[in-house]
Amino acid sequence: MHFDWAPDEAEFRRDLRAFLEAELPADFDGFAMEPEEQKQFSKDFAKKLAEKRWLTPAWPREYGGLAQGPWEQLILSEEMVEHGEPRTAQYMCVNWVGPALIIAGTEEQKAYHLNRISRGDVVWCQGFSEPGAGSDLASLRTRAVRDGDDYIINGEKIWTSYADTADYCFLLARTDTEGGKHGGISIFLVPTDAPGVTITEIPSIFSKGAFNQCVFKDLRAPAEWRLGPENGGWPIIRQLLVNERVGVARFRRANTFLAKIGEAAREAGLLDDPIVIDALAKGQAACDAARVLIYRVVDERAKGKAPDVTAYTYRVATIRSERAVYEAAMAVEGAGGVLKGSLGALQFGHALAAGVATGTLEMQLNLIARDVIGGKAQ
Amino acid sequence: MDLELDDTQQAIYDACTRMFERGAGPGRARTLRKTDGFDRDLVQEMQQAGFLDLFADADTGPLAATLITGWASQAAVLAPIGDRALTAPSVIEGDIPLVVAVADASSANMVRYAAEADLLLFLDGKDAYAAKRGEFDVAPSKTKFGYPVGGVSNVKGAKLAAGAADIARNWRRISTAAEIAGAARAAIELTIKYLGDRVQFGRPIASFQAVQHRLVECYVWVESAQWQVREAAARGAPTELATSAAMTASETAHRVFYEAHQLTGAMGFTIEYDLHLWSMRLQTLRQEMGGARAHARDLVAARWGKK
Repeated sequence: MHFDWAPDEAEFRRDLRAFLEAELPADFDGFAMEPEEQKQFSKDFAKKLAEKRWLTPAWPREYGGLAQGPWEQLILSEEMVEHGEPRTAQYMCVNWVGPALIIAGTEEQKAYHLNRISRGDVVWCQGFSEPGAGSDLASLRTRAVRDGDDYIINGEKIWTSYADTADYCFLLARTDTEGGKHGGISIFLVPTDAPGVTITEIPSIFSKGAFNQCVFKDLRAPAEWRLGPENGGWPIIRQLLVNERVGVARFRRANTFLAKIGEAAREAGLLDDPIVIDALAKGQAACDAARVLIYRVVDERAKGKAPDVTAYTYRVATIRSERAVYEAAMAVEGAGGVLKGSLGALQFGHALAAGVATGTLEMQLNLIARDVIGGKAQ
Repeated sequence: MDLELDDTQQAIYDACTRMFERGAGPGRARTLRKTDGFDRDLVQEMQQAGFLDLFADADTGPLAATLITGWASQAAVLAPIGDRALTAPSVIEGDIPLVVAVADASSANMVRYAAEADLLLFLDGKDAYAAKRGEFDVAPSKTKFGYPVGGVSNVKGAKLAAGAADIARNWRRISTAAEIAGAARAAIELTIKYLGDRVQFGRPIASFQAVQHRLVECYVWVESAQWQVREAAARGAPTELATSAAMTASETAHRVFYEAHQLTGAMGFTIEYDLHLWSMRLQTLRQEMGGARAHARDLVAARWGKK
């Protein structure tokens, strides 16, 4: 057991930092941008990253990557997030859609999509959750019915982040209602401007454009849009869910934000206030816990294992970090923390979303229980 | 980075496990507590095996010393392993006596193993002293909370080099946090087993989701404390990491104490049942080195203090 970074890992981090600091405006924060502004920025910035193959460094070289391992992926995620996540929505294409295409795509699909993703030309959204299928994703009811060489898709997806600006949707739909709820799911790669797709914003307590509803009405999807075998979507999703759970180094963003909260406390002369001290220290401890627990996940991935309980444990810790950092913001800002643009107002969405997005906190606890408590938990 | 034990660490783990199976565990701890005793024999055995001198050894280092401190606590060892294996060698070169106690001047009335110590490390603000037995006064105190304790006063002894107090304080935080992680893990494992065996309303208590979530929250606290303390030790116990690990460990001790007892019900209140052998110690451990109040103050000063 040792915690040292390998020389090439440290060098990659140094190079990335130098690049990001040279290319980004000071105090850049992609998380706080309006959706259209975000999209344009990320497309321009992704091109610069793509030139260095740093948009998709984990991908195999033949698809525009650098075949980097899990530790470099963590470093990439940490540094991007630390610098305001200039890739914005692109992280999804890179972590999740691209690898799915590499695993399950036809040569034509790979040729068409992977280049566009690795060049940073496109933004994707994921059509997963439905009104009746949230944590219980596999009970989704959006239907894709075979009609000659096409499928006719009808259904509704909700909470879809980035759908308003996305070029494509990674859509899960049911192609079979017989073989068990996991057995009849297929994946479709759907252009969001296809006839029959309607995207509407769901107004929320978060920033503009955070949530969307996507309605599919008699959408005619050629069979070439299907990714992987008919009814064989679920195993692909399972394989990639871990990427989603550790995809964004949330704790790193929270920790960078906590640094600002501490600076604000110092400027306000609050660093000797016991409530502020307690909140800042708890925030820091929670961020550190998430940071070391993601090392566990990455260590397992680097050894070719498929992390499960370590990944869920990290998720719980990272949720705690987002919440603890929000508490720190409010301890420092007090009533000012409810005003637009305040640290509290910027952090609260992260604190709330962390426990719900990509599988609720309770789902993570259930999954850990299955492993840690074992058979008696059933 | 590689978070699995390397060959040397694994060999130490295997040897420690055999030693603890033979000479530690709840039965041994219970016997020792009956006479307000502690396990000098085991400390002797660990020293002879070289396990107390891993800190300064280039092949093992402070991380290995932290690992054995945690494992000993998990095995309910009733002896100051961390003080001897981690805190003392962080500020004293050369031979160190067998039994070391560490006192912070702010809580000199509650010093674990004060009466048993061959050497007392006394941390008084920016100053640190190493006092041999006879160079300090001890008044043993009564406590229910797991360890033999006493108050120390009139501490003389040798003043250590400038800066030693802060170094020792951070390593003591590491040592205590490792002890918390070990004892808390044992308490949670015992509780998980109990809840799997205990049947009420026709089903094991562990099958209730309300119970599972609370256990798992504790599990995540223990994992957090354990991995934070290991990383902080491997990086040389800088104040920011040592205080942060100590904050997490302190919270872990607090939560695991309540939840393990609440979920175990009245059985957990008995001396017959093993839980108290770990749980009661957690209450003492979380107050060490000034407790969360001091960890938080020092963390914030190190991270955001005057630039």
